[in-house]
Amino acid sequence: MLRLRGLAPGVALGLLFIDLVGMLVLSVITPAFLSSYNLFVTGRDLSILLLVALAQMVVLSLGQMNLSIGSIGGLVAIIESGLMVRYGVPVPVALAAGLVLGIVCGVINGLLVYWTKINSFVLTLGTSYVFAGINLGITHATPFYHIPDEISAFGQARVGPFPLMAAVTIALTLLLAGFLYQVVLGRQLLGVGGNPLAARLSGLPIRRATLTAHAISGFLAAVAGTMLMAQLGQGQPTIGATWILPSFAGPIIGGAALAGGSAPVLGTVLAMVLIALIDDGLVLVSADPFWVQFLIGALILGAVVLGRTRLSDIRAFLRISTTRLGGTTR
Amino acid sequence: MSAEPNPTAPEVRLEVSGIRKQFPGVVALDDVSLRLRAGEIHALLGENGAGKSTLIKILTGVYQPDEGEIRLDGNPVRFASPRSALAAGISVVHQERNLIPQFTVAENILLERIPTRGVQLVDHAAINRLARPWIEMVGLDAAPATPVAELSVAEMQLVEIAKALSLQARILLMDEPTAAITPHEVGYLFRILGDLRRHNVALVFVSHKLEEVFELCDRVTVLRDGRNAAAEVAVATLNRDQLVTYMIGRAEVIAELPPKPNPGEPVLEVAGLTANGGGAALSLVLRKGEVLGLYGLVGAGRSSLAKMLVGEIKATGGEVRVRGAMTHIRSFREALEKYRFGYVSEDRKQEGLILLHSVRANTSITIWRRLRSFGQWITRSKEDAAILPPLRQLDVRSHSLSQPVGTLSGGNQQKVSIAKWLAAKAEILIIDEPTVGIDIKTKNALHELIWELAANGKSILLISSDMPEVIRLSDRILVMRNHAIVGELPNTHQYDEMSEAIMARLS
Repeated sequence: MLRLRGLAPGVALGLLFIDLVGMLVLSVITPAFLSSYNLFVTGRDLSILLLVALAQMVVLSLGQMNLSIGSIGGLVAIIESGLMVRYGVPVPVALAAGLVLGIVCGVINGLLVYWTKINSFVLTLGTSYVFAGINLGITHATPFYHIPDEISAFGQARVGPFPLMAAVTIALTLLLAGFLYQVVLGRQLLGVGGNPLAARLSGLPIRRATLTAHAISGFLAAVAGTMLMAQLGQGQPTIGATWILPSFAGPIIGGAALAGGSAPVLGTVLAMVLIALIDDGLVLVSADPFWVQFLIGALILGAVVLGRTRLSDIRAFLRISTTRLGGTTR
Repeated sequence: MSAEPNPTAPEVRLEVSGIRKQFPGVVALDDVSLRLRAGEIHALLGENGAGKSTLIKILTGVYQPDEGEIRLDGNPVRFASPRSALAAGISVVHQERNLIPQFTVAENILLERIPTRGVQLVDHAAINRLARPWIEMVGLDAAPATPVAELSVAEMQLVEIAKALSLQARILLMDEPTAAITPHEVGYLFRILGDLRRHNVALVFVSHKLEEVFELCDRVTVLRDGRNAAAEVAVATLNRDQLVTYMIGRAEVIAELPPKPNPGEPVLEVAGLTANGGGAALSLVLRKGEVLGLYGLVGAGRSSLAKMLVGEIKATGGEVRVRGAMTHIRSFREALEKYRFGYVSEDRKQEGLILLHSVRANTSITIWRRLRSFGQWITRSKEDAAILPPLRQLDVRSHSLSQPVGTLSGGNQQKVSIAKWLAAKAEILIIDEPTVGIDIKTKNALHELIWELAANGKSILLISSDMPEVIRLSDRILVMRNHAIVGELPNTHQYDEMSEAIMARLS
């Protein structure tokens, strides 16, 4: 059985509730929300951004960060589309090369962090410029148009309101949860994130855990980049450029501990659903799109504050104020 | 140092009475009183969880009491925040250091009152000048401009005392100040505290070590289960047994440890082990079913010896044989998996446990690789089957296996950090300071446990700076000083005789 270790149940329940309320509200105030096409578009954005958030979560669970998720996604999309468009490489080979490239980028991040012991924030800030720089050097900021039809078709494929892409994301999410909670290496990764020193003195392989987390992160970024390329129907050099905010928003709202050791997969999923709802809702009610970022920002702050105030604290607060009232009558 | 209270009781400086403090589901303090007098050292004792920390937090404005009264110099006061308690002259030196390591000694002392020149420019000369008298007052042998990170733990403590004094503290609370410093440093600290007593400061001294209370303190207040078990009793009128009875509600029973088979063949033979950075060559032999005590002060090199044995620190020379075979242990994993070592670190929170993770994960962490079945998968039933026996054997108390280990008591945490090595079927256990910061009852239980493990054939290297502990548990005692083993003594378990013999090796 799958266990949701590292999940803050309060956070997930709260998010689930907010998600359901959000869906209810949206379907009442704008009937367009439930239209098959709207659900498809929203689900497709969600499928991509959830992978981006999980790519960050897995590194956060190690107690580190990956600022290069977006530039890995962008570079992978460019290399894949370039191979297919300019060199006529067959689709499966190009995609495989792209995913391997994503893993390699992640391993580079992991090795640099492990060898230099320099803070992952600084290192991945550096590699993000390197990856984005290669992207720009290759493309000169011009997209690779006319990628093979089957890829574009995959980007548009749907079963009723469900985007086909969602199947990939769901499968990867379940695999990741199973890996982190039940597989030896995943556990070791969480252990190293929870307390590196204690992990080493319990015989855990620190290097392998570090490399694995970063490799998974690079892989998920690569899949997300590939899917966005499919959706756009071209190898856009700007793919991934806006991923930094959602990548952190998902895990943080979902209840991840920034110090490492927790991997709230379900919380991250629910948080990304919430962000997708806000995004979609603002579009549907024709809100100023420039306020979307503000709302997501406010949401992160709210979640962090809520994360510090657990249910028990609220209860304690209520009880103390009542005892104090009772005390005065004595 | 005199343990007698002054003949005429000095003025009461701080009086708390009828204090009640409730947390969700638990009454931490109930009708607690404490009276501090100027120029006296007042011991505040109690088992872990008895309410000492809560009381200290109330005195320093961190918590507000639900009921009760605090009077300072006879006038009722309320401390809404730590700042207001500080302003009233109440300072606390915490167990955990509250200094900024990168800052200098002087900057730490004057942290919230950094003198400035002109437009808020820091005046370094003034900082050092203003801090110097306080540094001298506590006898700290360091320049004001020394970064705190370069000081020893004991010196940092002196910086904290200096800081408290510079804040015009008239009441100084010391929370387990001797937990992490050597006996020599304790002696020095006690002289400083004695000076403060003569300067009419009211002092509170929290410690688990009763010997220190008898040596230093004038009066004692004991908390048990959140209530006063004793209030303001003159220490001179008490003996150790009475004090323990106050603390645990009954007389301390130090059961005779049952007989244990004689140690068998050597399992660990170390010859001429040397480390980088000098120190003598170290040699020792540990036998099957033996408890080998390694006594030495903090900094004598005991922990680095332990870490060399398990491959965490590189040895530069010498031989290590495990069960007769030559070994070159290069990493901790090798020590664990190939040679069946287990290492219980002295610092369980930093090095032993993953506080956020469950009791289950913390216990099975050493055997995940062994538990995996097809495709690296770990099943819960298999995991629990492996960890329940050691957890039961050690009588670990937790609500469930999923409870985060950080929420357990110190004693139970320590049991989990031993249990994971039992789960790993470690044969050679290196246990470093197993009972630091652990209360009397649990300490006894841990002692019996270590004894039982040895009786069942485990070989135990017991590192400790707690002399009664070493003398109670060891078959033989090694004495370590300045990174060298300076003596090996067969243990007669006679405290007076053994402690004298050990001290003779140390001087």
